[in-house]
Amino acid sequence: MYVLRRLPSLLATLFAVSLLTFLMTSLLPGDPALQILGAENATPEAIAEVRAELGLDDPLPVRYLAWIGDALTGDFGRSYRTSEPVAEAIIDRLPVTAEVGILAIIIALLVAIPVGMLSAYRAGTRTDKIISSTSFGLLAVPNFMVAIFLILIFSVTLGILPATGWVNFTDDPVQNLRSALLPALSLAIAEMAVYTRLLRTDMIATLQQDFVTMARVKGVSNRRILFRHALRPSSFSLMTVAGVQVGAIIGGSVVIETLFALPGVGRLLLDSVVQRDLLMVQGVALVIAVSYVVVNFTVDILYSYLDPRISHGRSAARV
Amino acid sequence: MRGHRRPGRGPWARAVTAVGLVGVLLGGAACGGSDEGGNAQAGAVTDTSETGDPVDGGEITVGLEAETNSWLPGSGVFNQPGVNVAYAIYDPLVHRTEDGALEPYLAESLEPNAELTEWTLTLRPGVRFHDGTPLDAQALKTIFDDYLKAPGANTAASLAEVTSLDVVDDLTVVYRLSQANSAFPELLVSPPGWPFSPTAAAAAGEDAGASPVGTGPFRFVSWQRDSQLVVEKNEDYWQEGLPHLDRITFRPMPDEDTRLASLQSGDIDVMQSLRQSTVIRARDLDGVDNYEHLGSNSGGGTVNTSKPPFDDVRVRQALAYALDQEAIIGVLGGAGVTPPTTQFYSEDSPYYSEEVADAYPSYDPEKAQELYDEYVNDPDRSDGLPVGTDLSFTYSCPPDPTLNEVAQLVQSLYAALGAQVELEQVEQAAWIQKMLTRDYDTGCTRVGADRDPYLVFDAAFTDGPLNMTAFQSPEIDAQLDVLRTTTDIEERKAAVEAIGLVINENVPNTFAGGTLTVMAAEDVVKNLDGWVFPDGTKGNGAESAQVMWGHVWTVE
Repeated sequence: MYVLRRLPSLLATLFAVSLLTFLMTSLLPGDPALQILGAENATPEAIAEVRAELGLDDPLPVRYLAWIGDALTGDFGRSYRTSEPVAEAIIDRLPVTAEVGILAIIIALLVAIPVGMLSAYRAGTRTDKIISSTSFGLLAVPNFMVAIFLILIFSVTLGILPATGWVNFTDDPVQNLRSALLPALSLAIAEMAVYTRLLRTDMIATLQQDFVTMARVKGVSNRRILFRHALRPSSFSLMTVAGVQVGAIIGGSVVIETLFALPGVGRLLLDSVVQRDLLMVQGVALVIAVSYVVVNFTVDILYSYLDPRISHGRSAARV
Repeated sequence: MRGHRRPGRGPWARAVTAVGLVGVLLGGAACGGSDEGGNAQAGAVTDTSETGDPVDGGEITVGLEAETNSWLPGSGVFNQPGVNVAYAIYDPLVHRTEDGALEPYLAESLEPNAELTEWTLTLRPGVRFHDGTPLDAQALKTIFDDYLKAPGANTAASLAEVTSLDVVDDLTVVYRLSQANSAFPELLVSPPGWPFSPTAAAAAGEDAGASPVGTGPFRFVSWQRDSQLVVEKNEDYWQEGLPHLDRITFRPMPDEDTRLASLQSGDIDVMQSLRQSTVIRARDLDGVDNYEHLGSNSGGGTVNTSKPPFDDVRVRQALAYALDQEAIIGVLGGAGVTPPTTQFYSEDSPYYSEEVADAYPSYDPEKAQELYDEYVNDPDRSDGLPVGTDLSFTYSCPPDPTLNEVAQLVQSLYAALGAQVELEQVEQAAWIQKMLTRDYDTGCTRVGADRDPYLVFDAAFTDGPLNMTAFQSPEIDAQLDVLRTTTDIEERKAAVEAIGLVINENVPNTFAGGTLTVMAAEDVVKNLDGWVFPDGTKGNGAESAQVMWGHVWTVE
C-alpha cells in the first residue's frame, strides 16, 4: 500500500528528471556538429549537413517528444560521436560502475559499522576521539588523492594490485576483483567516514534509551546489546544517507573511472559531455537519475519494514 | 596527428584552433646512448638502449592518452592516440621520410601531372585487406565515393578540392583536383589515405567504425571502448618479415599520473604523453627508453583582428611584446625544456627561419608600453573611446588548472600596461565555436602545425571559414599561390619565410612554447622510431608520439 501511495510522486520525479536532462544538455553551449567534424573541417556547409542529419534544427519540444517517446521503448538513439546505440553503450558499462560502487559501499559498511559502534560505546574516550578525528581527516581528502596514494602503495611500491585497467568478470573473476579493488577503496574511504560519524551519533542516542538501560540491568552482554538491541534502531540515518550517498558514489565514479582507466558509466558521461555527444549525455544522465531515484525509493520502502510505524502513516525516523 | 585534430589533449591542446594541425618534422631523432640525459635538457631528447637485432614474437600493452570515437576514416576523429592504433591496422598510402619528404608507403607510386592538378597513384599488386578483399583501384574508388566524400564525413572538407577519383586500370587511379596543389600527397598520410576494406565496411553498416579491417601489419581482434583494443599479427602481411610482435593491446588511459604509474608498475610496456611535465618525469624512470619529439604545435594565443581595438596593429604588437614567454612556459611545466616558439614551424623543421625568429615581438615590456600608450593616446583610436581610456577586454581559456595559471599570468602582464583584462573560462567546445564565429577578444589557443604549410596557412589566413583571427594579407595570398603551385623546396621555404614575416609583423597570433611529446617504453621494447619504407628509406621515426607498430619488437 505504501508503495502505491509513493508511486505517483516517483513518476512525477522521473518525468521532471527527463525534462531537465534534456533541456540542460540542449542548452549547453558548443555545437555537437562542430565536435563531430573537428575544428579544421567545420565549414558552414559541413556543419549544416551534420546538423540536418542529426535533426538538431528541429524545435526543442519536437526533439524532446521524439527522444522521450523512443526512450520509453528502450531506444535512446545512436551516439553522434561513435554511432553505437546509446542503450547498448550504457548496458555495457553499467556493470563496471555498479560493481565498483557496490563494492565501495560494502567495504565502507564493513568498516563503519564496527568502528562507529565502538566509537559510540566509548563515547568521549580517547578511542572515540581518535576515531572521530581520523574520520574527519578522511572526509577532507578528495577521492583522487586517495586513489593516487593507493596506486603508489599497492601498485608501484608493492606491486600487488594493478594500477589501472579493467578485466571483465566473465573473462577472469579473480582478476576482475583485483582490478575493482583499488577504485572501490578510493570511493569507500570518504563513505566510511560519513557512515561512521552517523552511526556513532545515532547509536549514542539509542544507548541512552530506557530499553538499553533495562537490558544492562538484566545483565545482557555488551556485545549482545550493541548488535541485537541497539544497531537496528540506530541504522535509520545510516540507511537514508547510504541511499543519498549513491549519488556521491556515481559522482565519484566520474573521477575514479578516469583515473583508473575503467570503462564505466562515469567516464562515458564525462567524455560525452566534453564531446557534446548530446544523445549519449541524455541517456546516461537519465539512467543515473532513474537509478538514484529508484534506490532512494527502495530505501523508503525498506523503512517500512525496519520501522512498522511508517507504513501506518506515522513518521518516526524518516529524515 | 595528421588529419583531424580534435581538441582535447594537454592544457594548450584543449584550445586547438584551425591552425592547430599537426604532423611531423623532427624525424627519427635517435641519439642512442646512455641515460645521462638529465631531465633539464632543452628540446627533444631521444634516449634509448641498444636496439640489437629484430626478434619475432611476444606481445606488448600500450597506454594511450585517449580513446578514439570510431576507427573508420570519414567518421573517426584521429588524434595522436588514434593514429597509433590506426598505424597498426591500416597502412598509409604515403608517409614521411626522415628528411620530411613524402614518399609512397602502401602505394607503389604517386605522380602529378605538370600542372599539379592530377595525381596518379599506382598500387602494389597482390595486397589484400584482412578479410581477403583485394586492395585495387575499385576499392579506392568505393572508399572515396561512399565514405570519404559522403555527406557528413569529416574528411569531406579536406578533400573539397579533390573533385573525383577515377579508375585507370586495375591498380591505378587518378585524383583530379579543382586547382593545382603541390601539398596533395600530405592528405594521403592522414585518414583519407588509409585504405579499409569496402566490403567489410558495407557489411558492418553503422558499426563499421567498431570493427576496422585494413591492410596493416595487425588484424583487429576486439575492442571494449574506454578499456582496450586488441590486435594480432597479420600473417599475410604484404611486407616480408613484418610485423615482429604477435599481439598488441592498446589501452586508453586519460590520467597522466596513473598512466605513468602503470608504466612503473609494469601494467603497460609503452606509454604516450603529450604533456611536458610527464615527458620530464619519464626521463627519470630507470629501464625506460624515451622517444621524444618537439613538434611545431605551440601553445599561444589568437587575437580577433576584426574587432577594435585589436584591428590596430599597435595593440596586437603591444600584447605580444608584453608576454613573457619564458614565464608562461614555466607555468606550463616546460621551463628549461621547451624553447620559446616564434613561428608556425619549430627549429627542427625545414621551414624554420632565423629571420622570422628575429622578427617575432619577443618579451619587451618597454616597447609594449610605448605601443600601448601610443594607441591609448591616439585621438583617432579605432575603438572610438576618449583619449587616455585604458583598454578593457576579455581573455578566454578553456577550463584547465594549468591554463588558469597561464591566464592569470597573462592578465597580470597586460595589467602592467594598464589594460583591464577579464578572464573568462569557456569550455573547449564553446571556445572553438566562439573563435570560428569571431565572437571573442583574445585567448589561449594552440598555434602552429606540422602539416604542409599550404594547408596550414590557407586555412588560417584566407577568407575561408576557419580563419579565426580574421587576419588576411595580399602578401600571404601571393605566397600561398607559390606554395600551391610549386614542389621546389627552396621556393616553398622562401614563401613560408615571407608569410612568417607578415605574421610576426602583424601578430594575429602569439606563441608560448612548443609541444614536447614522448613515447616512453620499457627498454625491452625496441625500435619504436626505426621504421623504414618498403624500399629501405628511413622513415620519420616516432614523431608526435606516433609509432609504426609493424616495425617494433620486444626482447622480453
